[in-house]
Amino acid sequence: MPSNDPLPPKEGALFRKLLKCYELKQYKNGLKLAKQILSNPKYMEHGETLAMKGLTLNGLGRREEAYKYVRLGLRNDLRSHVCWHVYGLLQRSDKKYDEAIKCYRNALKWEKDNLQILKDLSLLQIQMRDLEGYKETRHHLFTLRPSQQASWIGFAMSYHLVRDYDMANNILETFSQSQNSIEAHDYRHSELLLYQNQILIESERLQQALDHLIKYEPQIVDKLAVRETMGDLYIKLQQQEKAVPIFESLIRRNPENVLYYEQYLAARQLTDPSAVVAAYRVFQEQYPRALCPRRLPLNVASGSEFRIVADEYLRRGLRKGIPPLFVNVRTLHQKSEKATTIEELALQYFENLTRSGHFSREDADAGVPVEPASALVWTALFLAQHYDYMRDTDRALEYINVAIDHTPTLIELLITKGRIFKHAGDPVEAYVWLEEAQSMDTADRYINSKCAKYMLRANMVSEAEEICAKFTREGVSAMDNLNEMQCMWFQTECALAYQRMGRWGESLKKCHEVERHFAEIVEDQFDFHTYCMRKMTLRAYVGLLRLEDVLRQHPFYFKAAKCAIEVYIRLYDKPLKSEATIEEIDIENLPPSELKKLRSKQRKAKKKAELESAQAAQAQVKREQHQKSKQQANQETDPDAPQLDELVADKLERTDDPLEKAIDFLKPLQQLAKERIETHLLAFEVYYRKNKLLLMLQSIQRARAVNPSHPELHSCIIRFMKSLAATIKQQPLNDHVQQVLDKATKELIGNRTPQQLNDEFIAKHNASILHLYEGARSLYELDHSKRAAAIKLVTSFNLSKMTLEEAIKVYTALRDGDVFGECDSEAAAYQQACHERFQYARVFRNVEELEAQLQEKEAAKLRAEEEQQQLNHINFSSSEQVSDSVTAAAAS
Amino acid sequence: MADAEHEVNGTEVEDDEQDNSQKKSDVKRHDGGAADLERVTDYAEEKEISAANISSAVEQFGNQRNKENELRVAKEKELQKVQVKKEDIELIMNELLVSKAQAEKVLREQSGDVVAALEAIISN
Repeated sequence: MPSNDPLPPKEGALFRKLLKCYELKQYKNGLKLAKQILSNPKYMEHGETLAMKGLTLNGLGRREEAYKYVRLGLRNDLRSHVCWHVYGLLQRSDKKYDEAIKCYRNALKWEKDNLQILKDLSLLQIQMRDLEGYKETRHHLFTLRPSQQASWIGFAMSYHLVRDYDMANNILETFSQSQNSIEAHDYRHSELLLYQNQILIESERLQQALDHLIKYEPQIVDKLAVRETMGDLYIKLQQQEKAVPIFESLIRRNPENVLYYEQYLAARQLTDPSAVVAAYRVFQEQYPRALCPRRLPLNVASGSEFRIVADEYLRRGLRKGIPPLFVNVRTLHQKSEKATTIEELALQYFENLTRSGHFSREDADAGVPVEPASALVWTALFLAQHYDYMRDTDRALEYINVAIDHTPTLIELLITKGRIFKHAGDPVEAYVWLEEAQSMDTADRYINSKCAKYMLRANMVSEAEEICAKFTREGVSAMDNLNEMQCMWFQTECALAYQRMGRWGESLKKCHEVERHFAEIVEDQFDFHTYCMRKMTLRAYVGLLRLEDVLRQHPFYFKAAKCAIEVYIRLYDKPLKSEATIEEIDIENLPPSELKKLRSKQRKAKKKAELESAQAAQAQVKREQHQKSKQQANQETDPDAPQLDELVADKLERTDDPLEKAIDFLKPLQQLAKERIETHLLAFEVYYRKNKLLLMLQSIQRARAVNPSHPELHSCIIRFMKSLAATIKQQPLNDHVQQVLDKATKELIGNRTPQQLNDEFIAKHNASILHLYEGARSLYELDHSKRAAAIKLVTSFNLSKMTLEEAIKVYTALRDGDVFGECDSEAAAYQQACHERFQYARVFRNVEELEAQLQEKEAAKLRAEEEQQQLNHINFSSSEQVSDSVTAAAAS
Repeated sequence: MADAEHEVNGTEVEDDEQDNSQKKSDVKRHDGGAADLERVTDYAEEKEISAANISSAVEQFGNQRNKENELRVAKEKELQKVQVKKEDIELIMNELLVSKAQAEKVLREQSGDVVAALEAIISN
């Protein structure tokens, strides 16, 4: 290899051996060789050898030394492509891809046609989505090795990704013409053809795509893809009659694919509901065991026809006892007419099943054999779920209790009862029922997870962890194991529970853990850049790239990010005191009784803290052991994985700049979750606190584009106007900024003052509590003297027209006093009123009442345990006797 | 340490043999995962295709690329011609919390009109 600092033959041979050792991961040998070269006083400072020594050290996990030697080597030989390449490899193993790209570029300066460096560079470019750069590199590789298949594929791919379909297709077309012999059943060739077809379809050249597909059909082994694509193309090209038999055969292949039915109907050009139902009827006959042709007509039918198909569907489900029957029809409830029909039918079943064991009076009169006894339970369950959906808690409980009395051991019933309480606002009662259900089948992972989730809703994190531990790996703390398995629903629910409890640091920790999972998923792409190209699974590869591009669009990320942003905003509004000052509460001014209370509280807290820290210490030891074993395992598989900083709750909640941290979570949402208005409302809250007027404006405009009548948007506009006025008062704005703001505010509110705007808003939306709430909030915000009026505006709203969530929102605002200032008496009165309206909801109940209830429960539990112990004792002694007699018998 | 060295010496003989059989050593392999995957599927890479048509195709695609590059360079040149003020860039960066590169790009695209640039980013 060319070098500016060539080694003599002996050392050169050693150096080549060193490279070989690195490649074969014989790092210790490699170090020895490097030492041999460097021990020669003439080559002590040989750059490439030093760099390779560093890279070898990195392979052994000695990261810091690695950087030292690689940098030293590079300094000694800045014009060596090997040194730059090595530095790039090191950066890459450290996941510093930007830096690595720079290094590779430097390496290419000294050796511009090095294939290996170009290939490595292309991998990083695609990982970083530098699509233009990727195209450049791929073209370079193509010109260097036009005779290799891989060069063509990569070259075409690079054009496809920048959506230059013509060029991508041209390349593949030219390539396929220069291929001579195709073996039969060549999977790679087949995938390549389908990939080219995908490009044609994406470029909207449908006729060409169809011709291509027909021409190459015999060579394509993925027959299913051919059929699906062909059928779709026929429909799009208005040759529906040719698509009909294709989708008929596809349905025969898989009668449970909803998409096939849709396509089939499109091919038949059926739109009239009755005709569609008739079409489904034919499939029902043909595939009597399939669910799709029975369920799908419910979506399109209406009126009396709906009643007929729904009747059939429900009877069948109830007779067989299909547990998720209600879930299957839940979406139909969005249409109130359908919900009513379903309710009528179910009530009719319930009545007749109770009376005669039939679904209807007609059945009874006709002497049809009676339905199975279980049908009544399932019907009662269905009704309970139905009324729960309608938020009619009393009736839901009535039916679920009937069902439980009938069959107390059916787990689904207990889950539903828990869910009813959850929806009625009592997460504690809800979890009690779920725990009961869980205890009935401890081997069922579904009910186990559900129970954990309900516990988290009741803010019982450690209990939830304990429950989950039944299914996590032994010897590791459940929390760590769940994190390792990227169990995001659990972590997000934990974060929300901690948020409710005001344990901000813990909450943030969970949010960051979720965010790291997403980072890891993006990271995991890397291996596929080479793998997919080689395996020629190009359609799947492009799908993967596109998925990764929008990965953080996923609801899991959204939930966690929203929680994190809210917590960071809270921490900005009310920063935590440093740990030392927390203890010093103003004791002197307290009356003796209060002081006593406080002391006992402190004692309790201290005890608890001691216990917790002991547990934590234990857990820490466990964790360290685990970490160690994991590291050892890692050493073997992936020595390059960089160590992430450990997430520490205390540090997270005492960050210097919570808003910047919030923005880190916000950015992906702004990019990928534009269609969700919460994104822009959250963005506004952050920028409002940073007093960035233009960005506030941006958030408002984006939110308006999603939903101009969203209630919270109004308060954003008012607060924006207020900030604007306040900022101008302090110092005049930059002319350009002023110009932009003037134009935009004019569009936004015209010539009205914020007061006028707010009055209009309140008058216009007097029938919606959520709007009135924002109006009242702004009323107080604009003029503190109007506090009483503002509070009256929300508290006088007719409670019977409000949902539980709305009432909770208003009540918590009053209770916490951060919207209307301190207003304890109003809050208490409102709480009382809400309690009467929502009797099950926990937030509206008195603390004393709840505590009494809790103690009662504890006592009952204790009693039960004692009884159980006594029982066990008796059982134990009797079984001992039995075993004694058995051994005695055996002995004799 | 002595043990380790002993071990090293023990395996060196083998290495020499391997080395002789394969002189080509410029190729470097990296990351565990990717390398392992590659090893399993080390197949198509060296598969050659027939030489017919290739040279003309290479030339044709090369020309295409040159055209693209020319277009891009011309566009960039056009953008570079635009006069932008440093203070305008800083204003955009500060008000909208964007990177310098992005601020400058948008400002150039809006022919240096800072109000238009601000509006473009806001309404984006």
